[in-house]
Amino acid sequence: MITRLEGADKVTGRARYAADVRLPGLLHAHIVRSPYPHARIRHIDASRAERLPGVHAVLSSANSPSIPWHDASSLFDRTVRYIGDEVAAVAADSDELAADAARLIDVQYEALAFDLVGEAREPKAEARGDVARGLREADVVLEATYRTQTALHNALEPHGCTALWHGDQLTVYESTQGIFAVRDEVAEKLGLAAQNVRIITEHMGGGFGAKQIAWKHTVIAALLAQRTGRPVQLALDRASENLAAGNRNATEQRLRLGAKRDGTLSAIDARIRVEAGAYSVGGEDSDVIGTYLTLYRCANVRAEQRSLRTNAGPAVAFRAPGYAEGNFALESAIDELAARLGIDALELRLRNYATRDQREDKPYTAPESLRRCITRVAAACEWRHQRPGLGFAAHDWAAGGGWPPAEAEVEFAHGAARVIVGVQDVGTGSRTALAQLAAAELGIGVERVQVELGDTQPGLYGPTSAGSATLATLGPVVQEAARLAKKSGHARAQRGENPKGKSIRTCGAQAVELAVDRDTGEVTVKRVIAAHDCGRIVNPLLQSSQVIGGITQALGYALSEKRIVDARLGDVLNANLEEYKLPTVADIPEIVNASESMPDAEANATGVKGCGEPPIIPTAAAIANAIYSATGVRIRELPITREKLIR
Amino acid sequence: MRAFEYTTPSTIQQAVSALGADSRALAGGTDLLTLMKAHIAAPERLVNVKMLLPRGIEARPEGLEIGALTTLAEIEQHPVIAAGYSALAQAAALAASPQIRNLATIGGNLLQRPRCWYYRNARIDCWLKGGADCPAREGENRNHAILGGGPCYAVHPSDLAAALLAFDAALWVHGRGGERAIELADFFALPAPERRTETVLSPDELVLKLRLPPHPEETRSGYLKAMDRKAWAFALAGVACVLRLSGRKIAHARIVLSGVAPIPWRARAAERELQGAMASPDRFAAAAAAAVQEAVPLRHNGYKLPLTKALVRQALTALTDPACK
Amino acid sequence: MPGAPFAIEGAMTPLRVNGEHVELDVEPRRTLLDALRADLGLTGAKKACDMGNCGACTVLLDGEAVYSCLVLAVDCVARAVTTIEGLGEGGKLHRLQEAFIAADAFQCGFCTPGQLMALAALFERVARPSDAQIMRALSGNLCRCGAYQHILRAARMARDR
Ligand SMILES: Cc1cc2nc3c(=O)[nH]c(=O)nc-3n(C[C@H](O)[C@H](O)[C@H](O)COP(=O)(O)OP(=O)(O)OC[C@H]3O[C@@H](n4cnc5c(N)ncnc54)[C@H](O)[C@@H]3O)c2cc1C
Ligand code: SF4
Ligand code: FES
Ligand code: FES
Repeated sequence: MITRLEGADKVTGRARYAADVRLPGLLHAHIVRSPYPHARIRHIDASRAERLPGVHAVLSSANSPSIPWHDASSLFDRTVRYIGDEVAAVAADSDELAADAARLIDVQYEALAFDLVGEAREPKAEARGDVARGLREADVVLEATYRTQTALHNALEPHGCTALWHGDQLTVYESTQGIFAVRDEVAEKLGLAAQNVRIITEHMGGGFGAKQIAWKHTVIAALLAQRTGRPVQLALDRASENLAAGNRNATEQRLRLGAKRDGTLSAIDARIRVEAGAYSVGGEDSDVIGTYLTLYRCANVRAEQRSLRTNAGPAVAFRAPGYAEGNFALESAIDELAARLGIDALELRLRNYATRDQREDKPYTAPESLRRCITRVAAACEWRHQRPGLGFAAHDWAAGGGWPPAEAEVEFAHGAARVIVGVQDVGTGSRTALAQLAAAELGIGVERVQVELGDTQPGLYGPTSAGSATLATLGPVVQEAARLAKKSGHARAQRGENPKGKSIRTCGAQAVELAVDRDTGEVTVKRVIAAHDCGRIVNPLLQSSQVIGGITQALGYALSEKRIVDARLGDVLNANLEEYKLPTVADIPEIVNASESMPDAEANATGVKGCGEPPIIPTAAAIANAIYSATGVRIRELPITREKLIR
Repeated sequence: MRAFEYTTPSTIQQAVSALGADSRALAGGTDLLTLMKAHIAAPERLVNVKMLLPRGIEARPEGLEIGALTTLAEIEQHPVIAAGYSALAQAAALAASPQIRNLATIGGNLLQRPRCWYYRNARIDCWLKGGADCPAREGENRNHAILGGGPCYAVHPSDLAAALLAFDAALWVHGRGGERAIELADFFALPAPERRTETVLSPDELVLKLRLPPHPEETRSGYLKAMDRKAWAFALAGVACVLRLSGRKIAHARIVLSGVAPIPWRARAAERELQGAMASPDRFAAAAAAAVQEAVPLRHNGYKLPLTKALVRQALTALTDPACK
Repeated sequence: MPGAPFAIEGAMTPLRVNGEHVELDVEPRRTLLDALRADLGLTGAKKACDMGNCGACTVLLDGEAVYSCLVLAVDCVARAVTTIEGLGEGGKLHRLQEAFIAADAFQCGFCTPGQLMALAALFERVARPSDAQIMRALSGNLCRCGAYQHILRAARMARDR
């Protein structure tokens, strides 16, 4: 079994994260955030803060350039649109002093009316066929509304960076999923050439989507470092992290599904509202309608989603954005439909799953992999022995095929190799899997391969680690560069395009076994069985880490996690890890990974697809379906906390 | 955290005279430091009492004595408590996390402030913090009180307090005037306009130790706790139950609820249903109903009624199971 | 002011960190976590919540696992602190560290030092802990990557080795 290349660094504390960088003269920065959900800033007086010994710089709209930011706002906008919006920043000798100084900045606000419901904006809609007819011709129509909560990423490492300048060269140690995305954005905001900005991510403590874009803190740290001539470290605290660094958008999904008596789906109608928060920060495009358009074969589909702009923290991608939310509703509804039709829930899925991408109108590269996943899970959970408390859900995911372009460089000499790429290892094990692919191509042991990544300096572009794309994008290039380097000793390669005529997707299925105590409302999940198509499995150990990790996060999403906002105050009440309840070790069921390696030769030369996001997708629906099976109670709203089940 | 002065007095008298409105005793620090970090408390001085107060558990003829500095971990693991005071051991074991239990002291546990999310948010004004109103009453109150609420609806966060109350504990405190003993039942008091805290301890008093009266061998006790996840969360509702049976007859019953009222809540009506009665499912159901008969749920916490009832029933059933000891 | 004579503002705090004697010159409000990270450059313990809600800052204080974000540095006079940097011995990995690598008991690795220290405290006390003891010892350490199942496996591997 090949273990992680960086394993020894991570178990000894040597692995260096953005806020672990120690430099002579390092200053610590703190951001002042809006205490109002909506307000105009009348006046800022920072003189008391500036006079505090040990304070080196204060930045606010009063003294810094107006850098344009999302939705026609600016870096330190004079209008603040949610509690947590950035107002000013301080750099001081210590964390404590920076916080003291932040409190001394006198900001006068004029409170404005705020809106937590939001007005629906223009819909994003897609349709095919004739839904009205599909519903008319259906023998059974299921109509139901499902709701999902705002979830917080809560990567254990908060967003943060350490910024320093050498002349006009900016270097930032950043906790990010996209070193190039951050480089380009920071360069643009600061009016620098991209090559004057270097982003380094040696290790990062989780992102799950919230670190796939550039946030204000990086530019703020860079400006403070510029102004003071000293390196500046800016790490968000947990409260800021949960107010201002992204969330999974809440949804309301009104569905109508029509089916023929034999189970054929005749219509899917989904009208969805998405709570997007105060800004479109980029990368938040949660494609909730996606799975309605693709998971099942259906001629008549209409799916539309409208986002609602509210005075709350902005939404951003969160592991399988849109699909985790959409799947909960669709796969709960399919279960309800199966019960109405009197058809076995799993059988109904097998009769309807799609083998073509109906959105793109192309065949899938692996059209039968979903069937394989479903049948593997069915076998592993002994679906034929139906019993109360057993629930099932299938899923698809539009990504996983990789996002060209990308480059890689390989040096090969004396039986050892050096691989250089421009991606980052966000904890998924990219270093290790890439080393394995290179080692295999070069015919050497993986311990003879050194992988250098997480640095924009070499100028080898790599995509953001999102869309389960990293290995599927980089794997084929590294393999190709290694093939060439084997002959020449040194080679670079470019990632080719994905196949044109076919669509690459990932998919899978899960079953959940649980028990419900109706007297106390307590749910105990006993077992989750999962099979996911991620193409060829390069490293079974790392792949199972992704599977257990996704399912563990999904347990929180299904059962305990929810951002709570007071409607009258517009304030988040649980922007912490105390009342925002992540699963603990005691909440974890036995997780059985029944995935098999299914090399997808048509996807790319390695046969690899991504597996980062899929495991989080079907769990919530499988849990809701298992709860229905255990109790006869259908819960259509997440999270399923005990008040929904108590008798 | 704001800057403060840190002192290490060498006698209890010095410590007491250093205490006051702007000055707090520092024991394990697990509550005080989090309040200070959240800017809910900003004392000018911390008085380190860790060298001064008693720590440890001692079984004496007059009962079990627990020093104020005894940690929750020590309580959880002590053989005498595990054997004779199971509800206390279980409450300690279900409280917080191992790392907190290693630091948290029992004295501090009784004095910890509410976890109400309005209270702990420095941007929000609330009655308990000296403001005019309670935003929780009409707000997000799923964690809040169903009993004893108003003007404050926060629930008391301690698990151990419920168990201690069920064992009729008393405590010894030291103030400027010297030592005094208080029944735990009198130590906790619903916050009132003139005293916006959950205890009657004055700011310049120190808790020295607790005493649990001796309990006959046949006493059975247990603590059940419902949480939002399987570990490391405050109680949505909890019940500490101490029983003595003679045959199937209930000779003594104490039922104390946690997580449902601003102070640990003795369910006297439930005890009356049990006292002198024969142990039976119907009796337990009657006691469970009595435990919440005066409850007034808020908009989002109505589930605590059936939940509390279920916990009371489950605790009584388990404790009177002939198979269990 | 009666408190004044015993104020120790400005005094040094002597303690042992990973077996070595150190003197800290810090403000009373500095937490042990910040002292380790900022003053001693020991960045293995992580700051993830600073409120006792995650476990990433777990270190051993006189052999017991505690959250270093909830301990004042000045409260550590004459006490022994062990951090992840002091876990192995003589440059060799602790059996728990080896097992973590073998079981892939982490992903991003940010919670890992804390998870290891929580287990180290248990293994120090109990040579062959039960599964239930392992579970309890880990119940104060969140892992957002969701590596729990592999962490449990690693702990059992270390025990059964
Ligand atoms: C994340 C988290 C989870 C928790 N979960 C639970 C839980 O599930 N159940 C539960 O019961 N508790 C829980 N707690 C609370 C915890 O048990 C208490 O914080 C702890 O017991 C307080 O003890 P301490 O020694 O740390 O007190 P400190 O924080 O030192 O003190 C608390 C208060 O008491 C005062 N004080 C302390 N000792 C004395 C004394 N001897 N005399 C006079 N005044 C004194 C202090 O001045 C301060 O005002 C949790 C705490 C945290 C941080
Ligand atoms: S319940 Fe009490 S602590 Fe909470 S907001 Fe109301 S008054 Fe404040
Ligand atoms: S940082 Fe100390 S417990 Fe989270
Ligand atoms: S490995 Fe990332 S939080 Fe545990």
